[in-house]
Amino acid sequence: MNGLSRGRKNMEEQYQQAIRYWTLAQPVVSAYVTAVVRDFRDRDDLLQAISVAVLEAFSSYDPARPFTAWAIGIARNQIGTYLRERKRNRLIFDAETVDLLAVAFEQIDSAQTRKLDLLQDCLAKLEGRARQLCELRYQNDLKPAAIGSLLGMAPNTVAKSLQRIRDQLRQCIERNAALEGGPS
Amino acid sequence: MIPNARELIDGYLDDALTADQQEELSAWIKANPEHARIFAEAMLLHDRLRNTLGTVEAPDALHPSFNSESPLGWPGGSWLMSPLARTTAAAALLILGLATLWFSIGTPTASAAIRELDRIIVNSMKSKDRTFEIVVEDITTERRGKRSARSESQRPPKPPLDGAALYVRSGNQFVLIRKTQDGLPFVTGSNGKQSWAINTRGPVRVSADVHRFDHDLPGHETSVPLTDLHEGLQQLKRAYDLTFSALGPEEYQTGDGHEARQLIAVKKPKERGPQRVEIVYDATTGGILRMRFVQMPYGPDRLDLRLSLVSQEELPADFFEHTSHHVLDRKIEVEN
Repeated sequence: MNGLSRGRKNMEEQYQQAIRYWTLAQPVVSAYVTAVVRDFRDRDDLLQAISVAVLEAFSSYDPARPFTAWAIGIARNQIGTYLRERKRNRLIFDAETVDLLAVAFEQIDSAQTRKLDLLQDCLAKLEGRARQLCELRYQNDLKPAAIGSLLGMAPNTVAKSLQRIRDQLRQCIERNAALEGGPS
Repeated sequence: MIPNARELIDGYLDDALTADQQEELSAWIKANPEHARIFAEAMLLHDRLRNTLGTVEAPDALHPSFNSESPLGWPGGSWLMSPLARTTAAAALLILGLATLWFSIGTPTASAAIRELDRIIVNSMKSKDRTFEIVVEDITTERRGKRSARSESQRPPKPPLDGAALYVRSGNQFVLIRKTQDGLPFVTGSNGKQSWAINTRGPVRVSADVHRFDHDLPGHETSVPLTDLHEGLQQLKRAYDLTFSALGPEEYQTGDGHEARQLIAVKKPKERGPQRVEIVYDATTGGILRMRFVQMPYGPDRLDLRLSLVSQEELPADFFEHTSHHVLDRKIEVEN
């Protein structure tokens, strides 16, 4: 194998490794971006930009550091750049809160994100109005007031119902995780 | 946890907090790292819900009178009460359901296509110089008014793009070599600081406006400039729907023996640019082999244009200077 082929093989291996790490960290980074950027479309655009930035910068990643923390650092820079470029200020939290949240997200372990793989089964158990509310909120990105107008419900009732649904889903996930012998 | 902390978190998730409540939530998070952890966990579930369910486009695309920011955007409460309204609402929900089903089926392909485009973007930044051949497959001319037609007829005909060679380097540097009807070269370009045009006769025109002479290339006015591959690819991510498409059997492999793939980008409604962009690329490296732009705006015309990679060899350092493309005693005319 000549030097050029070795170089290409190393690059491909490095790329594959970056993809593996990113696949594991992505749910946490995605949640972090959603926590500090309110607009779902902004979030989607940002996640694309962050994934590219992570792959581009991967050669500078120090494996001694946790990858998720490193990726969240990149996400923070990208969020700042993105908002500056679009002359927007859609960050709701101040810098101190954003920093504290970054630390909190960095500490989320992979077991917690794996547990969320059980969400699909729990969602399948939702029926009737609960399912409808969940779909209107998350499929169609409607706020409680808009859902209330559509279904003839008071916004506060919708908000309370959504809160209950999320609690139910959380409990369902914990229950299923315990049954599977996973982390609780 | 303070009694209403959970309500504040849920209010945040549903974008329903007042400014005061927002402040309250922020103060609560700052009060204790454990609070930040609880908030982060709630956000993890919220985000997963959005990722699992949330694939339907903006509701106003389904119902133009809808305003998601304000429930008052609906056409009045009585609308919901009428039988017609109930039927319409049911139909809308059915459409939402079908759209959801469609998107949920399409999402893995779309996500994979986005990931592939990201690889292509990363690869596009690796190579310093690229040389392309341009082939114009078709030209559609829109109907023009008399004034426009007259002003067009007063201009000398532009050398055709078909068969032109395009050399690009990052930093808005390019050289475009076209042939006039007499078969003589007409060269335009930019070194990223100034742009220039070298006609067969007359002085060499140089301008401090780097975009002064890139208008002969389509795409600059719709953020898909042929001179800046990276910007064009980013625009595809923003303004286009991405999918894969099969290649013909003769195109499965690149010259290196790698698999070739094709990514199709279709312009979203209300966005500007070519209707469709097809990218054939090396599946192993993410390197672009060919791009095809369908219905690309070009002044009053729409072009179907193919850009084929000829070389990624590094060009001489001064290749993007006008002095590399004419004899040194040519007269230079500096324009504003």
